[in-house]
Amino acid sequence: MLDNLVLGFSTALSLENILWCFVGVFMGTVIGVLPGLGSTTGVAVLMPLTLGLEPVTGLIMLAGIYYGSQYGGTITSVLISTPGEAATVVTTLDGYQMARQGRAGAALAISAIGSFVAAIISLALLVTLAPPFAAFALDFGPPEMLAVMVLGLATIISFAGDNRRLGLLMALVGLLIATVGVDVGSGTSRFTFDSIYLLSGIPFVEVMIGLFAVGEVLNQIREGAAAPIRAGFRELMIKPADLKRSGGPILRGSFLGFLFGILPGAGSTLASFMAYGIERRVSKRGSEFGTGAIEGVAAPEAANNAAANANFVPTLTLGIPGGATTAVLLGAFMIYGIDPGPLLFEQQPALVWGLLASFFIGNLILLVLNLPLAPVFAQMLRVPYGYMYPLILLTSLVGAYSIGNSMYSVWVVVIFGIIGYFMKRLDLPMAPLVLGVVLGPLFEKALVQTSAIGDGNVGIVFTRPLALVVLAIAALQIVAPTLLAHILRRRRTRDGGPAGPSAAGPTAGDPDAPRPEFPAVAGNTATGGDTAAPGATTGPRTAADTSTSEETRGRP
Amino acid sequence: MSSPLLPRPTNKGVPVKRTRSAVLAWTPVLALSLAACSGGDSGGSTGADGGFEPRGDVTMVVPFGAGGGSDLAGRATGTMIEAANEDLTVSVENREGGSGAVGYSYFLGESGNENLLLATETALLALPISGEVEFDYTDFTPIMKLADDFTLMIVNADSPYQTCADVVEAAKSERITAGISGITGLDNIVFTLTEQETGAEFDRVPFESGGELTAALLGGQIDIASLNPGEIIGQLESGDVRALCAFSEERYDYEALADIPTAAEQGIDVSFAQFRGVLAPGGISEEARQYWIDTMEAAVETEEYQTYIEDNYLQPNTASGDEFVEYLEGNNELLQQVIGE
Repeated sequence: MLDNLVLGFSTALSLENILWCFVGVFMGTVIGVLPGLGSTTGVAVLMPLTLGLEPVTGLIMLAGIYYGSQYGGTITSVLISTPGEAATVVTTLDGYQMARQGRAGAALAISAIGSFVAAIISLALLVTLAPPFAAFALDFGPPEMLAVMVLGLATIISFAGDNRRLGLLMALVGLLIATVGVDVGSGTSRFTFDSIYLLSGIPFVEVMIGLFAVGEVLNQIREGAAAPIRAGFRELMIKPADLKRSGGPILRGSFLGFLFGILPGAGSTLASFMAYGIERRVSKRGSEFGTGAIEGVAAPEAANNAAANANFVPTLTLGIPGGATTAVLLGAFMIYGIDPGPLLFEQQPALVWGLLASFFIGNLILLVLNLPLAPVFAQMLRVPYGYMYPLILLTSLVGAYSIGNSMYSVWVVVIFGIIGYFMKRLDLPMAPLVLGVVLGPLFEKALVQTSAIGDGNVGIVFTRPLALVVLAIAALQIVAPTLLAHILRRRRTRDGGPAGPSAAGPTAGDPDAPRPEFPAVAGNTATGGDTAAPGATTGPRTAADTSTSEETRGRP
Repeated sequence: MSSPLLPRPTNKGVPVKRTRSAVLAWTPVLALSLAACSGGDSGGSTGADGGFEPRGDVTMVVPFGAGGGSDLAGRATGTMIEAANEDLTVSVENREGGSGAVGYSYFLGESGNENLLLATETALLALPISGEVEFDYTDFTPIMKLADDFTLMIVNADSPYQTCADVVEAAKSERITAGISGITGLDNIVFTLTEQETGAEFDRVPFESGGELTAALLGGQIDIASLNPGEIIGQLESGDVRALCAFSEERYDYEALADIPTAAEQGIDVSFAQFRGVLAPGGISEEARQYWIDTMEAAVETEEYQTYIEDNYLQPNTASGDEFVEYLEGNNELLQQVIGE
């Protein structure tokens, strides 16, 4: 083990490899900033560039691009509410609100730190425990995946806040959108209206760009541009209190992300949603979520980065891609003439361990590069939002076009931009819809496969122990809030609790109580007054926090 | 089959730069903005001596996403062409969607463009048979068939079956689950041919890629799968799975595969390959067609071609021009019988 790590670092620490790793991280970040161009496209587009390099150097650079483009997506999620890929959708919820409060620098910094910590934790797990984890992942056949998808859909409950019915409705709309296209079981095309473009369904990256980026711009145009954010440089720096608040979420997010990441499929996206949902539950500031809670940025960012690394578990130990980006990376292996498979560790130790070591180095470069740059990026928001409209629209549309070199993607963005605008006007939550679109095809595939394996009987899912465990967790997700509310309420009354209506109010988590609406998802342009209200209900400390940001925003 | 409502995938109103140099592909941001600005250029010119020469760069359309088998083939073909003719620069453009439908339909709209090629495979025939698209192979100009990719019947190492005949025999009395990568996938075709040949029946479980099938085999979720050697060679070498037979006419020459008997040797007369090849758009001049045939004939003589074939465990069965058309005709008839019901 140690020998291997030494071998890996001695491979990865050559000047050439470090240089290319840096180039990869940098170019990846630049690509990730473009809407629609997430890590999958980034790796695919830049792959030809690496073909002239030694295989290990090329792979190290590609890994750098992978990490870099993920972070690039986070930057736009926070600054302009435009997620680079599905896994960063959740980051927009609180990240963008933080940015509107002048705390973009802190949001970006905590993303960088959270990603780094998650990377180190998940890499340690990857290096030490990859084979058993890979074996564990293989136990997740279609019935188990079906249970995981049910669990994923159950998280929608925690996203919908008080508006459970609306949240579920939006999730259903998302699932409905996901039914467009050729059905995986029979090959029948559904709702395609004779269009070849609809055969592969409505692409969620474009849906996301439309809903979040274009929808937000349209909404801002109607409401009048928000004032530029004139935060001083000091406000842009992350504060010790922020770090203290984020420790737990980052750790929980990392482990959760790793666990979901080793499962093939929607690992990162599901992990980021789950991490957010869980933090919202366990955090003392649960009701602040959606109004710029730093935990709501730290947890999902840690989760999606850990999941990205965990994707390499099946990729390197079994030769089976863990996600879309690792599938492209496997393609690169083949181009280099390396057969990925269970023997990779034995046959190419220098390559595999060099690659793993470069993950450490790449994440370090990313942290060193982005921690000081976070306040600089955040300065972008000093530009009056009105001047940003054309830029956001242009990059959204160009990004969409470049996904498939096709105008179809552009139209999807435009149409969902308009839908997003109306959803904002009507205060409909968007995150459940995106989750529905992402999980829909996976849910259906698992359902069809389970039914095929069970010879038409989906009930076999109840005969699988692992699936039962996952289903039980899903059930707990749904029941827990009410249960937790009871316990909390009892404890509060016993302790005397903070007096006033706030204690019994929204924080208690009573599902029927009017919880603060999810401003980030629905009315995105939450102004100072709106955001202060839910924050103030949680207690004295958070009220103080909110007022700090209040000042920041008000400063001329 | 095809409807007049179906939109023709032309780039109406959007000038698309068709020649994107390899250098530009390195800086995608720049390439994107340039792609949006510069006008269409269908390229190609007739030299003074009447011979055709492509003007500017050549674009290889890959109707599938980056990293897949078609993408590998497209990129390798580009490299071969560049090796065979130093004057040419080939850039790859992925146009994925609808299991290839989007890419082929785009190609249909580029009729007459002599600077464009497409990395083709069995989807060219399977898509029209499934009836969702408005093209068939006669709308294009077949240039060269590069290789055949046969499949192996694969089981988990713990499987009780030793030969394909065992599997077929078992399938007659008990339930055998066969993972497939889609209704029009090569694996489904092979299983259907086997069923028609032997009277056995397999229960299909649909997956979406070779990787998913491999995971399902390793995890014991399915009994059998039919995979290209290149997709499964890693697990074969490690002994996690076993190959029972090859659905090919002859045994493989590759050392790692030479011991695998053909299905015919085990009494199942089934052999079917996915082909890999190169298409030009329809409506190109005879000079241009001949030029591309000559270029590809030179390309398959290069070392790059050999590397591609060997790295992917393909069979170097080539056929150029009219021979390729003949092959497509025969293959199309067979496919019609299998999936055209």
